[in-house]
Formats: sequence, structure tokens, C-alpha cells
Amino acid sequence: MEGILPGANGPEMIPYDLTASCVYFPVRHHSPICSFHLLRTLEAYQPDCVLVEGPETANELIPLLSHPDAKPPLALYCALRDETGRLGEKDELYRCYYPFLDCSPELTALRWAQEHGTEARFMDLPYSGILLASKAGQGLRRPDERRAYQDEGYFSHGEFLEKLCEKTGLRSFDEFWEKYFEVNGLSMATADFVSLMHTYCLLARENTRDLQSDGCLAREAHMARRISEACGKFQRVLVVTGGFHSWGLLHPVEIEQPDPFPEGAEQIYPMVYTMEAADALNGYASGMQSPGFYCRVWEKMRGEDPGEAYAQTVLDLIAACGRRLRHNGEALSVADETCALDMARGLSGLRGKAQPGLYELRDGVTTAFIKGEETAATSGPMQVLRKLTTGDEVGVLPDSALVPPLVSDFQLQCKRLGLNLNSAQRQQSILNIFSSPKHREVSRFFHRTVFLDSNFAQLVKGPDLASQRDRSLIRETWAWRWDGSVMAALVDQSVSGGTVREACGLLLERQMLEATLTGDGAGLLVQGFLMGLEDASGKLHSHLRALAASDGDFFSLAKACGHLNTLLEMGRLYRQEDTYDYTGLLDQCFGKVLSLLPSMAAIKDGQLSDCLSLISRLYQLSARKEFANRRAGLLDALESLLNEPDLHPGLHGGALGLLYGADPSWQAAIETACGGYLRGSREQMMRSAAFLRGLFSTARDLVLVSEQFLPSLDHLFARLEEPDFLALLPELRLAFRSFTPAEAARIARRAAALHGVSPEVLRRPPAEHYAYGETLDAWAAARL
Amino acid sequence: MEQAMIRPQAETRYRKELEALAAADEGNRKPQGWKLSPKAVRDFILGRKKPLKYEGREITIGKKYLGNDALVERCIITLTGSRGLMLVGEPGTAKTLLSELLTAAISGVSTNTIQGTAGTTEDMIKYGWNYALLLAQGPSRQALVPAPLYVGMERGILTRFEEITRTPAEIQDSLISVMSDKVLSVPELGEEGFLFAKPGFNVIGTANTRDRGVNEMSSALKRRFNFETVRPVKDVRLEKEIILREASAMAKNAGVDMPPDTGAAELLASTFHELREGVSSMGHRIEKPSAVMSTAEAVSVYYQTMMGAYYYGEGTISIRSLAANLTGALGQEPGEDLEKVRGYFSTVVRDKAEKEGGLWKEYYQARTALK
Repeated sequence: MEGILPGANGPEMIPYDLTASCVYFPVRHHSPICSFHLLRTLEAYQPDCVLVEGPETANELIPLLSHPDAKPPLALYCALRDETGRLGEKDELYRCYYPFLDCSPELTALRWAQEHGTEARFMDLPYSGILLASKAGQGLRRPDERRAYQDEGYFSHGEFLEKLCEKTGLRSFDEFWEKYFEVNGLSMATADFVSLMHTYCLLARENTRDLQSDGCLAREAHMARRISEACGKFQRVLVVTGGFHSWGLLHPVEIEQPDPFPEGAEQIYPMVYTMEAADALNGYASGMQSPGFYCRVWEKMRGEDPGEAYAQTVLDLIAACGRRLRHNGEALSVADETCALDMARGLSGLRGKAQPGLYELRDGVTTAFIKGEETAATSGPMQVLRKLTTGDEVGVLPDSALVPPLVSDFQLQCKRLGLNLNSAQRQQSILNIFSSPKHREVSRFFHRTVFLDSNFAQLVKGPDLASQRDRSLIRETWAWRWDGSVMAALVDQSVSGGTVREACGLLLERQMLEATLTGDGAGLLVQGFLMGLEDASGKLHSHLRALAASDGDFFSLAKACGHLNTLLEMGRLYRQEDTYDYTGLLDQCFGKVLSLLPSMAAIKDGQLSDCLSLISRLYQLSARKEFANRRAGLLDALESLLNEPDLHPGLHGGALGLLYGADPSWQAAIETACGGYLRGSREQMMRSAAFLRGLFSTARDLVLVSEQFLPSLDHLFARLEEPDFLALLPELRLAFRSFTPAEAARIARRAAALHGVSPEVLRRPPAEHYAYGETLDAWAAARL
Repeated sequence: MEQAMIRPQAETRYRKELEALAAADEGNRKPQGWKLSPKAVRDFILGRKKPLKYEGREITIGKKYLGNDALVERCIITLTGSRGLMLVGEPGTAKTLLSELLTAAISGVSTNTIQGTAGTTEDMIKYGWNYALLLAQGPSRQALVPAPLYVGMERGILTRFEEITRTPAEIQDSLISVMSDKVLSVPELGEEGFLFAKPGFNVIGTANTRDRGVNEMSSALKRRFNFETVRPVKDVRLEKEIILREASAMAKNAGVDMPPDTGAAELLASTFHELREGVSSMGHRIEKPSAVMSTAEAVSVYYQTMMGAYYYGEGTISIRSLAANLTGALGQEPGEDLEKVRGYFSTVVRDKAEKEGGLWKEYYQARTALK
């Protein structure tokens, strides 16, 4: 480090005196070497109070975090709903995570205090206080999906650090840190290590311009107040904070604090976390990369030979990586592993490191395990190593953990339904929802978790009632995974209710009140149906009725009819009958749709498919006995649609098809209309295909059953000039898509018979066509 | 009197530096047979911050390989072990330069080299015979003509094998037993026909990834090597430095006295970098030419432009001839690639000319020279 740190050094400015009444111990989050020296300091100093950087609102949770049954990775989850819009948008939810790993110095301090019966406290501003002290877009108010409480931007970024890396010839700050602090720190006396930390942090601080906009100064002033209070009460106070703050704690700048948020606005909960989420490499965590590697190092540091912690970890991981690669079928020999270890050791010597670390481990595996060019295809060893150095542990909270009732209900339900939450792996469940009541219950639960947006389960395959797809499937396949993000999402939703069911009910009601279209409202009913929720208070029902009364959107109402019809049809199958009064609602929507139908004449081409399926559904609905009285009204509406001047040809065909279905005497009118299009002007002739498409979608039997229709259609086609027919052909193909291949073949045979052609001819092209094709092929190949 | 050379070898070019490093290397641990310690080898290739005092003078050890420092360190450590080193990568990524620097620093000689071609035979690798002597005296050590692998083993120095994948697979495989047992058998010499490698012997191979599949290395041979993938320089600033340094060195050797033009080197570095990556610094997506847009090619374009200016021009680089010389870098598909380079000029260069003006504007105006 000589030459890097000129001038005044750390111990002159921040003393490390174990006879003083207060000792400042600087840490880097998740650093095993800081934990190592912190533990020595704790033993040597025997403080009667330990103050840790962390939101003081989490003080009650300290016994849980340091509980012997708690297993990291764990995190504190802080959330604030800004109901009045003090920070920005009204009702915006702010949240952040404060992760703890086995090797985190903060956790080491809390655990030591718990073991020794020493007072331990968090001393930082509450989360809401930090938000108030930060400017928009800065610090914890940065727009970021996974904001971490421990921001170490000061510590590991900046121009000063770039120069430092360049000067020491290291690739990144993390490599610099590992060499000078983690590895070399193992052979240092604690006082020297602390002095080195203070010196480094002072330099980092000196090169940081703005300390106010992210609330750093306000936090330091607050922590300094808490330290001074503790010093008045206790004899030996140990302060554990990010090293960057030590100077600020000794020289606080008083900052005016805005009025705090009302009590209860902020929530803070302990939650289980995953190593993957804690890995800075994944881009959403602060602190050190590859927590799996450093937690192993920490484990070795507490073992018999702490001085060899890094060398042993590197050896363990090379062996583990080799084993896993061989298990994956890769040809990797012990000689390769030896070579990787030699490389790591050799590099550490060349780089002036007492032992190989993470970077030498990576270099060793890169060189010795990858055979050939380093590409995506040969990246297997690096992927395996990455997984190993990240780790795959999921934390465990002690049973007494204070979790929101919603989370405990979620866990209880999972246990009751046999869903194992002790793994971070993605799991799959196949549910026979119609034959097994238990499976239907699991399915309801999964649907509820989806509705709560918890990212717990996803429906991979199965009937999708909301979009009316795959309704004939009888099984649901779900993929699900339990991790910290699910818990965080549940904590966010915990304001909605104490149980999963209650939260879903409240949310459903809220969303229904916000819905403006009947179609959306009815969609919510379908969701409620899948979740197995009753409308006990009748609120949903009455709101949907009110919506339907004021809705003037044909598509929305028709969609609502579809949803309500689904619910009527599926009630028995899903063991969910008589939950709502669907019939009355459906009748109301039906009536409104009929009144709007004639005005839908001039739809756009893109709306045709939707419109055709909607009117077909209405027709099917009117076949049910509850709605038989609506049939006449529907037919009247369709007839009046036919009189509209700008009627879309597709809708024209569709409406005529439905009228024919109700009364076959409409066949003559269909033939007339068909002739009208086909014999009309060229523009009208081109629209005939759309007409047929509409017709075939609602009256397929007209072609398949009626003896007369096909000959008359054939007659009309025969009268077309060949160029016109060819121009029309692509559209006609589309129209005939309404038929299954077998039906299309039947139609083709009948059409062929009309022209005296035998059905065999249609089956396959004659042999000479193939021969001609081959000749053409050979001719083209010779010229290419 | 030292004879003039177009390109002296690294050990000649950097003789003073190597001597100064050796003198200062006394206390450091050296693997057997090495002229310098691994630390000094690294300093030789990656440079040293402080100059060394040698024979009353200060000798600056400059950075000779600009790119991935960790890769160089891995190469050095590989060579201390029993496995060979295989450098793979696109053409023009300085694999050969790195191999030359490593051998010059470790063994003090970089000329013990096998050049792999489709016609390389086993006797070009191991040993051949002086047939006159062979007929006169029968097989003897005097009649044996050692090839680079034999020389390397006998003297305990590194053997370079350039473009190994251009050599037929069965010829490549003749290395296997030597690499594992470190012994070469010469059956013709009878009981004395065993050459045991002296410490310091190892093999550095280079293979071009564009030749992949021509003569794929067998997995048995692959196991005897540690592979390092050398990638093109990612940093435009660094690429500019390389262009200037290499072209100036070539000019100096050729006796051409001309000041370097940093502006032109910057244009060239940006052009090559952006065409290679397929995206400009302003975010344009551009089509990559099929030609290898390597830094070595950029150096060659720059040097060619320099020579043109020196002998035919006014002694300063003209941006127009720089643009014209770009076409020389487009190898295999000149027609298609030329269109891609023209496309680059009509989008990226145009926008940069508008935004930055100056040389970029001149560069854009020179687009008509792309023929």
C-alpha cells in the first residue's frame, strides 16, 4: 500500500483504543475478515453495549436475527406506503432489504451480544427517516427494484478507486479489496487491520463530494446522538458501522430533520433470504460478490487453522467444481484439478497475495478446466463455479419469528396442502382439479397466490377460463418456488388482510370498485371463482350490476356475457355452484348487447374475429333454457343488422349463418347475398371471401349438410373469370379454414364430383407432376 | 557491425531491458531453466512503474502487451508447470507477439519456432537427418539434424508452435508423448536414442479460431495444454495506443522519420473497433464485415498510409488515403465488405462528422475514396 496512502493515517485521526469508553469498529458488509477482527475486538474489549448500523425500528427483531435457530441468509424488509405523497406520488410503496449472511460483521456483533447477554441495538434513522433525509432519485430513493439498505457506493466506486486499481494493477475494486484486506488482513494484528480500514475509508471519504443528498450526513448525526446517549449509560460501547461513516460519527454535522411519518406508516419484518439474491454479481445487491465463497472462508476462519482459510476454501471449491462437472458428464481428470490448484497458488505468489482467493480460483478454473476456446459452449466449468461461489442456501427464521399474519397463514396453508417450502428449487405440481377435491383446493390456493402477485406459482398448462382457452383440459400444471421475493411480496400485501383468503377477497373488492368496464369486472368474477371466493357481502355483484347498467361498450358487454356464461357452465365441474347470481347478471348484459348489436355493422377488419365469436356465443347462450326468451330478440337484432347500409361482409355472413341456424328458410337469402357479392363489381367480388368466412364460422352445416348450397356456390365460382378467381383464392383459403381437414376433403370431393372428376384424383398429384418437379429441380441446381 | 533487420526478435529489441531485469532479479525465485523469475517475466511483458538502474543508466520497462493482464499472469504460471500453453483466438489478436515475448523473457530466445502449415511433417518438429553423413557414418548424433522440439528439450528452452491447427492431426499428435513423458525417443540411435528434456523446456502453441475445424486438436493433445483465449482489444483508447506504437516502431526500423498522427490513429481505432463490434459509440447498429477487423490489420492500414505519405505525399498522413487504404483490410469478401464499410461511413461517420466535426468531417468527405 506504500505510495497509495500518503499523509495522515487512520489511527491518528480515528483512534482504536480498547481502554476508551467507546470504540469505533469499521466494517465492510458481508466481509469475513471484518467479522474475524470484530470478533477478536469483542473478545478483547468485552463491551457492555454494542451499537450496530441499522434502522432503530428493527431493534425488537434483534433477538430473532441472533437466535440460535435462525439460519442466514436472512434480511430485514422495510416498507413504507407514502399515503399522502410526501416523497412523490401518492400511495407509492417504498421498500428496501437489509440482508445478513453468516459472514456479515453486523450479524457477528449481534450474535456475540446475544451469547454474552450484552445490550445490542441498531442506531440508525428509521427507513422512513432516511427516505425523508434523501433527495428524490438519490440513495434509498433511487429507482431500483431491489434497493439495499447497505449502500456501499462510497466505498467501492469513484474516480479515486479507479486510479487505485490502475495503480495496483488489479482488475476491480473487489480484487483490490480481497488482496489488501481479506487475504493479507488475516496475518495482521487487529489494531493494524482497523488502522488500515480507517485510512482507506478516510481517503474514500475525502474523495466523495456530496454526502447530503442521500441522507448520509443526517444518518451520521442521528447515529452520533445515539452513541452519545449510550456512552452516558454504559461503560464500554462498541460501535459497528460501515467504515466510511466512522469519521462522520466523530464529527457529526447537524442537519434539520423533517417531521417523521406517522407511526405505523413504516413496516419492518425479518424474512428469509437467498444467497443468489445477496450476490452483488446479480446486480441488485450491494456488498461483496460471491457470498457462497466468502461464507465458506468465514467457516474456515472459525475452524482449526484460520490462517489457511483461503487456501483451503479454494482447494475445496476446485474439488467440488470438478466433482460436479464429472457428475454432469464432462471428462475432467484429477490432473486438471491439480493443475487448477497449482495455477491458483502460482498466481497468488505472482500477485503478492499470501493465499489464493476468489480471483485466483476463477483464473485457475478458466485455465485448467476449459479445453479449447472460451465460448458459450465451453463455459460449463465457469457456470458451475459461479453457482458454487454464489451458494444456494435459503435462510431459516426461528419459529418465534414475528412475521405478518398473512405470511404465517401462507406458510400454514402450504404445510396443510403439502407444499414443501424448504427448498429454493423450482417445483412442479400436476393437479386433477375435477376429480380430486384436495387438488382443487391446492389449485385455489395457487390461484390466490397469483392474484396476490406474489410470484410464487405460475400456471404452466391447464384450462384458462379468463382468456377462454384450453377449456377442455382436465388438469392444471403449476410451477412454484419459494424464495425471499415471495415473502417480500406477501409482506407488501399484508395490509390487505391477515389470511391469504381474506387478502384476496379485499383485493378483489378493491379492484372491482376500480373497474370501469363490465368485461373487466366479469373477468374479476372469474378470478374470484377460480380462487374459490364467495361474494358474501354481495358488493361485487351489485357493483357489476351498476357497471353493466352504465356500460355502452359492445365488446366489453359481450366479453362479460362470455365470462358469465363460463361461470354458469363451469360451476358444477369446479365444485363452485351457486356462489353468485350469474343468471340475472348475464340476462342484464345480454339485453344491453342486443340493443347495441345493430350499431356494430361497420366494424373494422381486425374486430371481425372477436365480433363473430361474440355473436356466436350469444346465440349459443340463447339456446339455454334460462335465456330462451332472449332468442327472438337476438334474431330481431341480427335482422336489423342486415339492414344496415355499411355492414361488414364478414358480419353479414356471420349474421345470416346464425339466422339460417334458427330458420333454414334463410338459405335462399344466403344464396342471393352470395351471388350479389360474387357477381357484383370487382370490389364487391373481392369482399365475397370475407362474407364466406363469416358465414362458414356460424353455419358450417350449410355447406356440409345442405344438398343445394354447394352446387349453387360452385355455379357462382364457375362464372368468375380465371384471373379474378386466382386473385380471390388466398382469401377463400382463409374462409375454408373454418372446416376441419376431413370436412374440407369431403367438400372438395363433392365439388370435384360436380365436375365429373373422381375423388382419387384429388388425393395426390399425378406422378408426372412429381417427375416434372424433379426435372425442374435438376435444371435449377445445374445452373446455381 | 550489427546487420540491419526488418524486424529484430524481441530478445534483440529489448536486450537492455532483459539484462536490467536479470540483474535486478537476484533475490527472486526462478523455476529451473528460466532466465528470469515469473515476477520479472511479468514486469517485462506488462511493464514496471519504476525504471531499473543498470550500468549507470535508468532503463524503463515499458508495457509491451496491451490487453488482459490476468491472462498474461496465467500464461506465465502455466509455463512453470508441466502442461504446455495454447493461445487461441481470432487472427490479429497478438497471440504470436505474446508467445514471442514469453519465450524471449523465459528462455532468452524466441526463434526456436515451428511454423505449422498443411505441409508440416514430423521431421520439421522433432528431428531430421543429414543424409550425406547418415550414408557415410550411419545414424549418429552428428548426422541428426535437430528440429525445434529437439532443440527445446536439449537446451531446456521453450519451443513455439505457431498455427498448430493448420498441421494435420496425426502430426500434431506426435507431441503427445513428448508433452507427457518429457522424453523423445530416437530409435535410430539405439540405446543412446533417448533425449530427456532439460528443465526449462515447454511448448507454447498458437491456434487461430478462424481455422477451427480444419485440423481439430485431439482431446488427448488438448489435455496436455492449458488454453488461454486471447480476445480483441475492447478499449478504443488502448487500440489507438497500439496502432501508434507498432506503426512508429515499424517506421523507425524502416528508417522512416515521420511524426505519428494521433488523430488518424484515433479514427482508425474507432472504425475498426465499431466495425468489429457491430455497434457504434453513438449506438448505431451496423453490419459487421466478414473480414477480420483486427488491431494488427489497423496497424497495417495505418503503416501503409504513413508510407504512402512519406514517399509520395507531403510527409503527413492524409485522411483521404487513410480511408482509401481501409479497403486493403477487407480480405475474403471485398465486394460485400466494401458495401458494409460504405454503410458505416454513410451512417456512423456522417453522424459523428455532424456532431464532432473536425477530423470526422474530413473522414466523411473522404468516403468517395472507398473503392
